[in-house]
Amino acid sequence: MPRVKSTADRRTLGEVIKRLLLFDLFKGLFLTFSYNWRALYEKRDGGNPNQAIYTEQYPLEAARVSERFRGAPRLNLDPESGQTLCIACDLCALACPVDCIEVGSIRREVREGEKVNKKKVLTTFIFDTSRCMFCNLCSEACPTDCLELTQSFELAVYHRSGFRWDREMLEKGIDYVRYSK
Amino acid sequence: MLGTLTTLMLVAPEWVLRWTKEPRGNAFWAEFVVWPLIQILIVLFIVLTLVAYLVYLERKVSAFMQARLGPMRVGPWGLLQPAADGLKLLLKEDIIPLKADKTVFQIAPIISVVAALVVLAVIPWGAAWATIANVNIGLLFILAVSSVGVLGLVLAGWASNSKYSLLGALRSSAQMISYEIGMGLSIIGALMFARTLSMSGIIEAQQADGVWYVFFQPIGFIIYLVCALGETNRAPFDLPEAESELVAGYHTEYSGFRWALFFMAEYTSMLVTSAIAVTLFLGGWSFPGLGLIKNQTLFVVVSIVIFAAKVMVLIYLYMWFRWTWPRYRYDQLMDLGWKWMIPAGLANIVLTGIWYVLALPKSRGGVFGLMQLGLRDRLAPTRWSGIIYFVVTGFVITIPIIWLVLAAINRRTRDFNLHAQRQLQIKLRAKRLQKHAEPQAAGEGAS
Amino acid sequence: MREQGVDITPGTLFDAEEMVINMGPQHPSTHGVLRVILKLDGETVKDLDCDIGYLHRGVEKIAEHDTYAMITPYWDRLDYVAAVSNDLCYVGGVEKLLGIEVPRRAEYLRVALTELQRIASHLLWLGTHAIDIGAVTVLLYAFREREEILKIFEDFIGARLTAHAFRIGGLWWDAYPEFEKRVRDFLKILPGRIDEYETLLNANRIWLSRTVGIGVLPADEAINLSLTGPVLRGSGVKYDLRRAQPYSVYPEFDFEIPIGENGDTYDRYLVRMAEIRQSIIIIEQALDGLPEGPVMAKVPKVIKPPVGEVYFGIEAPKGEIGVYLVSDGTTKPYRMRIRPPAFINLQSLRRLSIGHLVADVVALIGTIDIVLGEVDR
Ligand code: SF4
Ligand code: SF4
Repeated sequence: MPRVKSTADRRTLGEVIKRLLLFDLFKGLFLTFSYNWRALYEKRDGGNPNQAIYTEQYPLEAARVSERFRGAPRLNLDPESGQTLCIACDLCALACPVDCIEVGSIRREVREGEKVNKKKVLTTFIFDTSRCMFCNLCSEACPTDCLELTQSFELAVYHRSGFRWDREMLEKGIDYVRYSK
Repeated sequence: MLGTLTTLMLVAPEWVLRWTKEPRGNAFWAEFVVWPLIQILIVLFIVLTLVAYLVYLERKVSAFMQARLGPMRVGPWGLLQPAADGLKLLLKEDIIPLKADKTVFQIAPIISVVAALVVLAVIPWGAAWATIANVNIGLLFILAVSSVGVLGLVLAGWASNSKYSLLGALRSSAQMISYEIGMGLSIIGALMFARTLSMSGIIEAQQADGVWYVFFQPIGFIIYLVCALGETNRAPFDLPEAESELVAGYHTEYSGFRWALFFMAEYTSMLVTSAIAVTLFLGGWSFPGLGLIKNQTLFVVVSIVIFAAKVMVLIYLYMWFRWTWPRYRYDQLMDLGWKWMIPAGLANIVLTGIWYVLALPKSRGGVFGLMQLGLRDRLAPTRWSGIIYFVVTGFVITIPIIWLVLAAINRRTRDFNLHAQRQLQIKLRAKRLQKHAEPQAAGEGAS
Repeated sequence: MREQGVDITPGTLFDAEEMVINMGPQHPSTHGVLRVILKLDGETVKDLDCDIGYLHRGVEKIAEHDTYAMITPYWDRLDYVAAVSNDLCYVGGVEKLLGIEVPRRAEYLRVALTELQRIASHLLWLGTHAIDIGAVTVLLYAFREREEILKIFEDFIGARLTAHAFRIGGLWWDAYPEFEKRVRDFLKILPGRIDEYETLLNANRIWLSRTVGIGVLPADEAINLSLTGPVLRGSGVKYDLRRAQPYSVYPEFDFEIPIGENGDTYDRYLVRMAEIRQSIIIIEQALDGLPEGPVMAKVPKVIKPPVGEVYFGIEAPKGEIGVYLVSDGTTKPYRMRIRPPAFINLQSLRRLSIGHLVADVVALIGTIDIVLGEVDR
């Protein structure tokens, strides 16, 4: 690669005259002024890089969250039976690098048609959102698509205890503050 | 409060004089006590509100230049933001560092803000009654008082007992003093034409000459603008409070309302320097066609609006510079002050003097005879031929000459010979490293 | 009295003009929690030392207790403004250890993402460097473009900053349908935006006087300090791992390695700007030649590499980031060692700044481009 060069290194007459006339300073001024001017009349369209103003007014405008976003966790239920999909296999807890999942289960006899099987059944599920780094490893490890990281991202709470989500919260999801003007 | 007191002190001598001579009636009280007080209160109220809104304006302007929106949440378009900010600053805890020099620490912001506010007394905000105090040495008064402001910064830096504050204070004192020289020099050219130091007098002179002095004194105006930036510590000369180096410079340790006072002082002095520039170079409240308004009250109101508009244009310019350019380094700033501004100011005075003498009436030893006696025995350029002469000399001759002089003085600096400067720096480096680092490295080995 | 190698004995009568001043760890321009102890003569720096470790988390030790897959998220948190590049380094290291062949589509997507990350990292560097020198507006412009990249990341990977972009063996997700169009749209507007930054900075006399001739580092010294990345290339050494030790599919792309001449702050700035332009070229090539196919290789559920050790380094935005893995045949690495570019580059700060002014130290911390997450690990 040729060595990096800039116009400042050139010593032509044109450059010298430009420097004498403060061209470099005025060029910058012109750019900022054009932004200022465009900001006054252009239609606002938050998050559009071609517009003079880029700001998205978050609580007023709904935040744009992508489909794959890894936010608040959720325990999915079987849409037909309404039972939890979790088979208490503990794989998610094992996959988590920061140990923020605790799966509680008991072995119980479950009647399935004629047969009676001994099966692990989920009792409690604790998810510590304060420690979680939303890396998705747990959800990837889950064999039943039960644990999932969803799009909600407003996880702030007023007290530390609020970070520990229990099974009920994980299944229902949390109530979010919806902002309006 | 103190600002009001000092303004009163300004009126006092005249007041006492009258007191001894004239019979005291209602008219006296009205003219010299009630009316000035009303004016003072109005000006203070308006200026302080204005200052608060200047902050808002600055935030908005910077936001628009940076593809942002700026304050939007308090009130429509964030218009109540200054009120919210003021309230917040008032309610904040006033922290005084344990080892600070308490009294000085407390007084410093007051000095700084008073020096900025007192100056407001002599600024001609508009025609007739809108000129509050027409002091015949108005400009001198402004220059003198506003340089007291630096005392506030120095004391603040010293009393905080913090190294950052101290460095900031040192920087600001050096900077303000050197830029004040340039500022003083830049004014003289315009004063040659105005032949008075009274602020209203300067405006009248420009009206009488029929042209704003910026056209006679383009270089003077530019120097004044640059020096005013330096004097008010605005970017690109905002070194004393260079955030990225000195945290917040001299007011690092200040919080709450004391900090707000410094802030107020900064914006007020911005207002004041712009107002001086407007008075001196841009014709103050006068504007072509203003004389057509016959109604006296309307006339004054319009004049105030014109003055404010001109000041706003300059303030926008300040903000524009600030949000576009990087910041100078301390030594480069001094370079700019001493090697560019001051020589340019001196050269400008000399050249303006020459043009002026050449243009004097023949009876007074001039060559071209392009001036005549006007109002109050003041020499004014003759209509059109004289004006054209001064504009042409100002723009076509003075600017190139000064530019070349400056280029000659600074031919070795980065601005003109970047390549050589670069090589020089590379050579210097080896020397520097040897001087500073090597003994240290040896010491490291020993310990 | 000494602190961190700086003599802080109070001055005697004759050298009392010296002042020891403590910059950071909470200082607006030390880019995180770096503490710099400065010994000043007036405003000239006589001596300087860095105190690091305020962000130490012991990633290398943590790694000894986690399985190979679990370590990847920690790498996001080293150089947290270039998480994707870090991931590539670690994941590549483990793949080399396992001897896995990654599908070509995954490799191409990886290259596109890492080059986007390089642009994002350089933009962030540009913004913060400019704000250190006082040009505030550049920061906001640079962040706007960076935001566009982060949006692309969010749609692709699911997170913006600490991405956890790659898995051992490939990618978790394939590219989303509009990925290619989004990236191309962005690449179309980017060159114009770079021109905007350069309008504000390149020829600006204030910017020049703040950067030209400041912090000169000759090539031999830069090599002796084992610097890498733009800091090294700014001094005129043509060393870029993408060419010197090709990894992934970089040999298939056609791009150039910009180098500086004088090794000063201005050259390093120019080099980085040129690198952004080169990255645009690489991404375009990667998108053009994007093959079809799977994005994940066949990887056993439990990763148990054979006994052995491996070093894998890549050219991260800040220089060579490398991982040295020792496997004892279990599911957890016996030892993981990180070669942090910012940490090593930071060692040049003392040589760079001695003799300059305080204001230059700020500019020099900026020009090295450190991220404390990686320096302290
Ligand atoms: S997202 Fe990562 S850190 Fe959070 S619970 Fe799942 S595995 Fe653990
Ligand atoms: S991995 Fe899935 S199924 Fe297994 S315990 Fe976790 S959530 Fe339940």
